[in-house]
Amino acid sequence: MKKFLINIYLIIIAFVIYFLQSNFFNWFTIAGVMPNLFVIFVLFIGLFGSKIMGTIYGMIIGLILDVLFANNIGISFITLGLVGFASTIFDKNFSKDSRFTIMLMVAGLTIFYEVIFYFANYFVSSSSIEIISFIKILLIEVIYNVILTIIIYPLMQKFGYYIENEFKGNKILTRYF
Amino acid sequence: MHQKRKTGILGIIITIIILILIVVFTNGENNASFFENVATKLVMPVQNGLTYLKNKISGNDAFFTDVNNLKAENEQLKEENSKLEQSLRELENIKSENETLKEYMNLTEKYGEYKTIPAYIINKDLSNYSKTIVINVGTDDGVQENMTVIADEGLVGYVVSVTNNTAKVQTIIDTATSVSALMSSTDESIVCKGTLDSMTELKAMYIPPEYNIIQGDSIETSGLGGIYPKGIHIGTVKKVESTKNVTDRYAIIETAVNFEKLSTVLVIQN
Repeated sequence: MKKFLINIYLIIIAFVIYFLQSNFFNWFTIAGVMPNLFVIFVLFIGLFGSKIMGTIYGMIIGLILDVLFANNIGISFITLGLVGFASTIFDKNFSKDSRFTIMLMVAGLTIFYEVIFYFANYFVSSSSIEIISFIKILLIEVIYNVILTIIIYPLMQKFGYYIENEFKGNKILTRYF
Repeated sequence: MHQKRKTGILGIIITIIILILIVVFTNGENNASFFENVATKLVMPVQNGLTYLKNKISGNDAFFTDVNNLKAENEQLKEENSKLEQSLRELENIKSENETLKEYMNLTEKYGEYKTIPAYIINKDLSNYSKTIVINVGTDDGVQENMTVIADEGLVGYVVSVTNNTAKVQTIIDTATSVSALMSSTDESIVCKGTLDSMTELKAMYIPPEYNIIQGDSIETSGLGGIYPKGIHIGTVKKVESTKNVTDRYAIIETAVNFEKLSTVLVIQN
């Protein structure tokens, strides 16, 4: 029952993030570049949720984004799914207690997501490739995402451990001893 | 522990402030007016209060004279005021409606030879690398795939996919689109592509070496390619970049449409 409720919360958060991204961050930009909240959200689910949750949520969100905005279905579907999968791997190998590790994870996954996304789009729609402006936008986006992570980290941790207790049991201590 | 939490919160607040400052400074054409606004907002309430006090003191002697009369008058005025406010609101409604209708009229007059469907933009792309928009008309209104979308100033893009009530439009500034275009003064054809880092510029490529490109020349669609009809205004030549190799040279074209402020568009029915 509690798990069901948590899933409902996560879906509501996904909607809030969608509206934030499409309305607020459309004008609250750094030099015209928006952050990518979906990567942070999927990373969060992958880190704190159960084993497959990150991948599944990533795929669903990606699919919705594809249907709403992209010309071809599949690119965000696969890339966000990969982000979710990568974050479950991070969960196994890294500690989540430090803000700095999470910041690094966000930076890494944003770069990972956008590079795959850009080049997949390049191959599918045969657009011209502009490496320098791409890197410029990517760097600003990474910085923006990291700044946002610093701000929402306490919230992430609180809600995250709540979810983790529910899905994985209270194994936090036993894992390290 | 307490100390640590305190510094954590402080860090978050500082980060938020830095973020807001970065956003303001990187996006501002009117930074000065922004700060002016903030300053006035800080000062004005105090200023108002002081002025109020000053007026009150100077007009103090007439205060106790006719309280009852004043009360009655006050009631009457309030009633009148509410009535006036109501009519004002109605008028404002009518005014805004009138403006949108006029806008539509202008748009349709300009492109009179085409049959068009007016539409609002309801969503813009969430990613930084593609520039598609979503409009509020769909198959129910007669929109189909590959229809051309224009605005008052010129070409916007074409419809990539439709649902019952919405349509996805790929704009000409998207890097995945290219438009076949003509230069109006010389009738020479070029291909315009969107660029990644600008919302207002197109890159004109594949310019044959013998062609002359004139700065300030206006660019129109050529009608080749089968999507865009002939003769729709795209923009003007901003500058010509010549490279070592003549075949590589390109021109920067400034779009006539301001994509950042675009809100109403027209879909041309084939």
